[in-house]
Amino acid sequence: MSAVTTTTGAAFIATLRRDLLIAYKKKHDVVNPFMFFLIVATLFPIGISPEPERLGEIAAGVLWIAALLAAMLSMDSLYRSDFEDGSLEQLLLSPHPLYFMVLAKNIAHWLVSGLPVVLVSPLIAYMLNLPDEAYLAVFLTLLIGTPVLSLLGSIGVALTVGLGSRGLILAVITLPMSVPVLIAGTMAVQQTLNGAPLLGYLAILGALLLGSLALAPLASAAALRITVN
Amino acid sequence: MWLWFSKLGSPKWFYELSGKWLPWLIAVMSLLLIIGIVWALLFVPPDYQQGNTIRIMYIHVPFASISLAFFPLMAVAGTITLVWRMKLADMVAKTAAPLGAWFTALALISGSIWGSDIWGTWWIWDGRLTSMLLQFFLLIGVISLRSALEDTEAASKACAVLSIVGCINVFVIKFSVDWWNTLHQPAGSFSLADDAPNPPEVWVPLVVMILAIYCFFAVSLILATRNEILVRERRAQWVEDLACNS
Repeated sequence: MSAVTTTTGAAFIATLRRDLLIAYKKKHDVVNPFMFFLIVATLFPIGISPEPERLGEIAAGVLWIAALLAAMLSMDSLYRSDFEDGSLEQLLLSPHPLYFMVLAKNIAHWLVSGLPVVLVSPLIAYMLNLPDEAYLAVFLTLLIGTPVLSLLGSIGVALTVGLGSRGLILAVITLPMSVPVLIAGTMAVQQTLNGAPLLGYLAILGALLLGSLALAPLASAAALRITVN
Repeated sequence: MWLWFSKLGSPKWFYELSGKWLPWLIAVMSLLLIIGIVWALLFVPPDYQQGNTIRIMYIHVPFASISLAFFPLMAVAGTITLVWRMKLADMVAKTAAPLGAWFTALALISGSIWGSDIWGTWWIWDGRLTSMLLQFFLLIGVISLRSALEDTEAASKACAVLSIVGCINVFVIKFSVDWWNTLHQPAGSFSLADDAPNPPEVWVPLVVMILAIYCFFAVSLILATRNEILVRERRAQWVEDLACNS
């Protein structure tokens, strides 16, 4: 009946703000992935070896795998509460392209659950005795790589949003898809330790980020239209 | 053209047509399989390095090559499902996923047996092995998504989206794993495509076996799709007639 009064940009900002506000009110969504990351990273020295030399060798891989698992587990909160209270349907009914709405939700989600993990990674890197020259590589690769994990994970969550128990299905769907990011991230760190320049690897991660930025929200949007009736 | 297209999408039409073709396809497959297996196992000269172990190649290579076709197949079927809502395409996609998982598993297992002899180990993190294993995981993901979603309509579209995403992903994984692998293992290549070109008495039976396994793939896919058609169209009149007459 009424004409469209908001622009897509305004709707994008509104969605982003709304999700950030909800995260601010429900702080456990921020704290949980962060704590999970810390705890998983703590398990490796206990499970493998507390010797500094051995830890230093595996530190980059441990950080990346812990970040990958934290990203995957935190994805559950991306659409679930919106699906349960019906606001996801409202989002689908909005006249704006769903691509931008999904993108806004993904960005908000990454800011809330991905960025804290990236920010705390140097601390964990220190505890795992990562060699000094690799700090920058770990930090930058996680900074560029974790948004890709969020964008890919969003597809998996969108496909399974209506299911009651989906933890394992989500893992089976999204973890194999994350392998290229994991490879690029850990290789960047390894090669930096060997003295190779970092920029090429960052460019590859950047390409993965841009590619998934362009395509993944489309897939997520299509998946949401299918699974939310 | 469109008439033909919509006819092609009709499960009944496919069921009848495939019923006519199937005996011929099975005959060709059996012939090729018998020729290929007898030739490969009895008459191919033993390899000068690998001896009789080379005969595993005649099983492994066909399965490995056909298992690469599953994600593109499922992505194409998924696109047809999403765009034209063709039921038949989804039935093919549904039956292709478990079949693909089996073929991939067989390629991995036969390769592992082969590797246990010529590499001295059952598993190495070689580029091809790793990407094959990841493809297997992705196929398992599609299968589990299909079984988790109860609504058939939603399941077919969701699996179509996942197949398209997975198809792109399989290529990215393939490239990234190859890249990872060459950086990790610069020396000691396990490549099999080395030295002199293989003589015809080695590769001709391989071509026969590849064709035989392709036929086997087509036959399995058609048989499984026919079952799926009967299950989904069980309330249709023509299926009832079929059941009463047989």
